Amino acid sequence: MSVQRRFVKFLGLAAVGALSIGLAACSSSGGDGASGGEGDDLTTVGFVAVGPEGAWREANEKNIQETFTEDAGFELKYAPATNLDQKSQIDAFTSFVDEGVDVILLSATEASGWEDSLKRAQEAEIPVVLLDRGIEPDDTSLYVTRIAPDNVEVAKEVGAWAVEQFPDGGNYITLEGPAGVGVVNERNEGWDASVDGSKLVEVAAQTANWSAEEGKSVTETLLKANGNDIQLIFAQNDEMGLGAAQAVEEAGLKPGTDVKIATIDGTLAAMEALAAGQLSYVHEYNPLFGETALDVVNKTLEGESVDSYIIVPSEAFDSPEAAEAVLADRQY
Amino acid sequence: MSTGARTSWLRELVRKPFFWGLVAIVALLVLNVLKDPNYLAISYDPETGRLVGNVVDILRASAPILMIAVGMSLVIATGGIDLSVGSVMAVSGAVAMVLMKDAGDSGSVLVALGAIGLALLISAVLGAVNGVLVAYVGLQPFISTLIMMLAGRGIAKVITEGQNTSASNEPFRWIANGFLIGLPVVFLLAIAIAIVVGLVVRRSALGLMIEAIGINPKASRMAGIKPNGLLLTVYILSGVLAGVAGIMSVGTVMTVDVSRTGYQMELDAILAVVIGGTSLSGGKFSIGGAVVGGLLIATLDKTIVFLGISSSATPAFKAIVIVVLCLLQSQRVRSWFVQRRKPPRASAAPSAVPSEKPQQKQEVTA
Repeated sequence: MSVQRRFVKFLGLAAVGALSIGLAACSSSGGDGASGGEGDDLTTVGFVAVGPEGAWREANEKNIQETFTEDAGFELKYAPATNLDQKSQIDAFTSFVDEGVDVILLSATEASGWEDSLKRAQEAEIPVVLLDRGIEPDDTSLYVTRIAPDNVEVAKEVGAWAVEQFPDGGNYITLEGPAGVGVVNERNEGWDASVDGSKLVEVAAQTANWSAEEGKSVTETLLKANGNDIQLIFAQNDEMGLGAAQAVEEAGLKPGTDVKIATIDGTLAAMEALAAGQLSYVHEYNPLFGETALDVVNKTLEGESVDSYIIVPSEAFDSPEAAEAVLADRQY
Repeated sequence: MSTGARTSWLRELVRKPFFWGLVAIVALLVLNVLKDPNYLAISYDPETGRLVGNVVDILRASAPILMIAVGMSLVIATGGIDLSVGSVMAVSGAVAMVLMKDAGDSGSVLVALGAIGLALLISAVLGAVNGVLVAYVGLQPFISTLIMMLAGRGIAKVITEGQNTSASNEPFRWIANGFLIGLPVVFLLAIAIAIVVGLVVRRSALGLMIEAIGINPKASRMAGIKPNGLLLTVYILSGVLAGVAGIMSVGTVMTVDVSRTGYQMELDAILAVVIGGTSLSGGKFSIGGAVVGGLLIATLDKTIVFLGISSSATPAFKAIVIVVLCLLQSQRVRSWFVQRRKPPRASAAPSAVPSEKPQQKQEVTA
């Protein structure tokens, strides 16, 4: 009896142990990549980052880490947020200021609430460069510059392509990200700026939460609700567009000819789908701007002034051939 | 005589806990028909041999919810809760996708079966960890499954290396997208599994024992029921069913999205169980009720899109429907109406709904 009970207890402990190892494995992958070497002529850069979020973010942060290497004369201290929590970012930011790093790179998880931290950095005369995400209220005196691709501009180009493709008009649906997110609003704003006044008619706009599965389910229903009379689908990210393509096929229509699908992001999967004719238009939202950041940091340290907003150029791909050309060395 | 039998049958149905769930499904369908009179139309596509229509889409979309709702209703009946089902779905989907991708995107049935087998095995292991934590270690179900909910998504990310992983395998795809005798395979599968679980639980003493644990653990132990083995079984079953749901879910697009697959599905499952009339405090449960609840949630999701309710208003619309439903189900709220209506006739309520009878009967047998 007691042996059995002990065995059961042991089993329970073993399960807990296995679980905690699993948890530790998860957290260790996001550990800091800062090396302890204090070289004399190395510039220390504190990188307040977002951490694991998705393929785009992964490509972006890896690119930054690979640019600011010791060979290039930098010591990069990487501090990802824990669970996208702004508090942990502010803590990391403050400790970078106290430590007296030379430059701070910041990808904020939340736009608001950064004034006090940025003022402290300013008092310590540490320049701050914003990567990708901006801050609210946008006080340009608090930071050197913001480097990011422009959502509004990208969506405008997608809209312009759509208007050009359908000079005689047509019905379209929009697959959005979760309601209220800044990216969604910006991509809507850019799209509307191009499409308003054209002959294109928006028959529905629904959220599919950035997911392929929901993109398919929503598209399936919207096609039925409109008797398959839809010529264009604007998916605000690749995943939803890929899901929509499958729904279009299952409705007995041909993606590319009956229904054209345009997406934003430009991940590898979307490029493959574009090459295969499933998607008709993919606009990249370029995550690889390490070089630009490096340039800005160097200029700032030398005392040169830079623009307060640097837009990272993003490419558009509107044909299978264009997609095939870049498939081989797509990094994300 | 016959009318007397009919009204008593009807009265019994009205008294069923999931009756208002059925009413809500019918109401939502009516709402859709008001927007488009052809909403319920189903056509047969001879080329692909499948039925095409909005209702078919609803059945297909409901399959994963049905699976986790059935598992959840058993767990809830024991007085517990399983918050990890959504994450287990993601793990199961991730395992299947990575395995099929490594197998080289073949169309082989063996690869598909292997992927399903391994995915279900790992889901069962995760369920067993929950079960052990609850039954033998004595942690609260809420806490143990919360741990698994957080860990599960991490495990899925480790398995896929944080990437959304796609694979192609025709037999696997068929499970989620195929049609058999004109109906979606996923739905037939989900209903078959629900019926098997229902029969096993109700034709044996298992269901009774599960309810006994939920109603009074102490008394049931004194009556000779050993709770540990039963609890473990129930959590393993919930894990396996979540694994099935995960396979169905990733199969539709053949992509696992580690951060979105099964995201917040545990809430849908709990909702489905509650709509089906199972009390969250444990005790009596109804598999049929969970099925009705799952169908209602699928109908609600599809209705929101079909009516074109704007994205920002979607959660509010969903909440309103569910709050109204819970109010209708509440014994206390209903008793207010009965009291107010007492003087004229006590049996006024049942006569208001005879027109919906045929549909109800179908749903109940389902």
